[in-house]
Amino acid sequence: MDFFVQLFTDPVGFYNQHELLIAQIGINAILAISIFVTFYSGQLTLANAGFMAIGAYTTVILSLYLPMPLPVDMLIGALLAGAIGFLVGLPVLRLRGVFLAIATIGFVEALRLGVILNVPITGEGQGLKNPSADPLGGIVPILISVPILTYLVWRLTHTRLGQAWAAIREDELAASSNGINVPVYKMVAFIISAVVAGYAGALETHINFFVDPTEYSVTRTIQILTFAVVGGTTNVIGPVVGAVFLTALPEIVRQFAAYRDVVNGVILILVIVFRPQGIVGRGGLAIIAPRWWTRWRTRERAAAAH
Amino acid sequence: MSALLQLTNVNRSFGGVHAVDDVSLEIEQGTIFGLIGPNGAGKTTLVNLVTGYMRPQSGSIKLLSPAAPAPEKGSNSPPPLAGEGRVGAVELARRPPHAVAGMGIARTFQTLRLYRNLTAIENVLAGMHLRRRDDTLQQLIPIPALLKEDRRRLQHARELLERVGLPPETFGERRAATLSYGDQRRLEVARALALNPHLLILDEPAAGMNPAEKDRVRALIQQLNQDGLTVLLIDHDMRLVMGVCRHIAVLNFGRKIADGPPATVSQDPAVITAYLGSQAQKTAAHVPGSEEMDIATTSTPVSAEPTSPLLDVRDLQVSYGAIQAVRGISFGVAKGEIVALIGANGAGKSTILNSLSGVLRPHSGVARFGDLDLTTAPPDQIVRQGLVQVPEGREILARLTVRENLELGAWARRNGHSAHRDIEGLMKQFPILGQRRDLPAGQLSGGEQQILAIARGLLAQPKLLLLDEPSLGLAPQMVDTVFDVIKKIHNDGVTILLVEQNALRALEIADRAYVVETGRILLSGTGAALRRNPEVQKAYLGG
Repeated sequence: MDFFVQLFTDPVGFYNQHELLIAQIGINAILAISIFVTFYSGQLTLANAGFMAIGAYTTVILSLYLPMPLPVDMLIGALLAGAIGFLVGLPVLRLRGVFLAIATIGFVEALRLGVILNVPITGEGQGLKNPSADPLGGIVPILISVPILTYLVWRLTHTRLGQAWAAIREDELAASSNGINVPVYKMVAFIISAVVAGYAGALETHINFFVDPTEYSVTRTIQILTFAVVGGTTNVIGPVVGAVFLTALPEIVRQFAAYRDVVNGVILILVIVFRPQGIVGRGGLAIIAPRWWTRWRTRERAAAAH
Repeated sequence: MSALLQLTNVNRSFGGVHAVDDVSLEIEQGTIFGLIGPNGAGKTTLVNLVTGYMRPQSGSIKLLSPAAPAPEKGSNSPPPLAGEGRVGAVELARRPPHAVAGMGIARTFQTLRLYRNLTAIENVLAGMHLRRRDDTLQQLIPIPALLKEDRRRLQHARELLERVGLPPETFGERRAATLSYGDQRRLEVARALALNPHLLILDEPAAGMNPAEKDRVRALIQQLNQDGLTVLLIDHDMRLVMGVCRHIAVLNFGRKIADGPPATVSQDPAVITAYLGSQAQKTAAHVPGSEEMDIATTSTPVSAEPTSPLLDVRDLQVSYGAIQAVRGISFGVAKGEIVALIGANGAGKSTILNSLSGVLRPHSGVARFGDLDLTTAPPDQIVRQGLVQVPEGREILARLTVRENLELGAWARRNGHSAHRDIEGLMKQFPILGQRRDLPAGQLSGGEQQILAIARGLLAQPKLLLLDEPSLGLAPQMVDTVFDVIKKIHNDGVTILLVEQNALRALEIADRAYVVETGRILLSGTGAALRRNPEVQKAYLGG
């Protein structure tokens, strides 16, 4: 409770005290946006942690060996994630549903166990020290990026591209009968998702002094998936809300901090059972408008129409 | 008139089955072209070949005088056909579906394929994909000019909804999945029209509709055609196809067996045979002189109804969500009879059987089997009481052996020893099964599988056996074998209720029969009388 009281009575103190948490919320929100893009086009891809790793390692390695302005490093990291996303997408996007999910998980683990832990330049299992990290300064680009990315992806869902994604998600066969080039649009979604995830990885290195390979395992991907599922994927606000909610949750319920994963699991189950479309479904925030309310309103409207 | 679409010697087979076998067609520009044929004749495969969903193994599919739909410039007129100038033909056979759509060929799907969670308007808007300028980057910062484009597109989508009979004020914002079945079909047409096509392919647009809805589909097709659209119509409803099409091609077992104007095609002996079975030709030849006498014999069918039936169905109604498949049907089956339900695809015959065996629950009405109320009894109890269904498509377990399939058929029985004896008995009775007892059932031919399915049904010791389309997808010779088996088990004392598309074969062995059309009983009478009835031919061919 203190958490909320402080948030409203002493926002500056709150910010200073919870800076790392806020930064983490921002990173997770960006990751949630990344998985939203592929979800919106109907693809269950779980490669986000892998692309994150590419963004993170690229940024740090560049700043170690080829000093450039940090934004340039980060940009290169994000774009490299996108490029590798394209290469991975070529074989993997032929798959659908759970097979696609498994293949992308395979990519994440292959990247971590096969490349990162074995290539000297990544520090192998030891991870990498990031000399240019700046935990206090690093939070600024994060806080700027979240609303901008949210806005851009929200607009994107209204474009010709976004419309094609929605059609593909609903029915691929029908989409191609409408002249939508399904493989190309799926690939575009996958690449955008990879770039956003790579960008999140790059941002994260900026607030940590250390790049830890264990951060980029399947567990991370599943966590990102949880943001999207809990938040809801009908629009981009859902995953962002899910990320904010689930990241802040351990702080809110401090007394259960040790059971963080248990609490997350219970919430996930409750959402899937009672609110399968996520916290933010069609028609806004579900917590504010529970199902009986929507049902009652529909009935009222039907009555008014007659 | 010049041709718009030209198919030359198109072939496609699956495994050993020739789904489309050397078919050549020419669809003229501005016409309504009908493609008909019995179940499994290869009609939908042909559509999938034309629209790029499948690739032909050989042959060519050419779109003549093609032109891609122009990007939207505010005009609603179809893109100019390179047309009379004849730029040349475009080969469609190796193009992916979206590219074929880009050539101006729009289609609907036999099984509805709407964007179920999008609204009706959004469905149509998605259909305009090819005509929407690629505004992906500009839309990120929406400017007034774009908003104007958005509004114009929306306006056009509303017009399309209006055109197919879905007023946008009422339907525009509804999720596609919440629309009634008929409205969903209409919405699919609107979405296809959003492509602004040269050729519109409608795959069974009237399936599952009642006569009034069918009339509206017919009016819509005619209206679209008058506005200059070429239409390729596939449907089972002969009345619709014969009424609206100017040219018809008939497929049977993947081959084109007739091609011409409706009047010629409906008289074609090969077509009548394909639809009514091999006996039809003789009967058709026999019809003209004796029509009136035949009608007289069938006009008193009620007297043939049993007084104390084993199975008694009264005013049965069954619905699938919004679609009413069975609209108040009454009939009876007496002990020792073979009764047939015949009728075209989608008439509701299988639905009747499924609601008797407890697979489906009727909406209202009475269905009694002896003392058992079939509308509420659980399926396992229905089987134990002796009402056993052999389902459509056979539903044998392909990876189990013939013997294991039969053992499962005896599952409901307590006495393992007698079951074992019966299985051995069946193997002797049907040597086809005995010889293959240790083969996986999936390796049997279609007809052998059908016999296995019937034998499996017999092991449940039925008093009344429900047979759903036993001749489905079988070659003519195998159909004979299966019907011999049916006669044989009937002689052994099993009462049979038979559902068949192959009407004349069914009427040959049936004591009595009912002709079912769109969920109602159209005619009834003895098998022999119905076989000579011209009305039966009409129900099938829409004559």
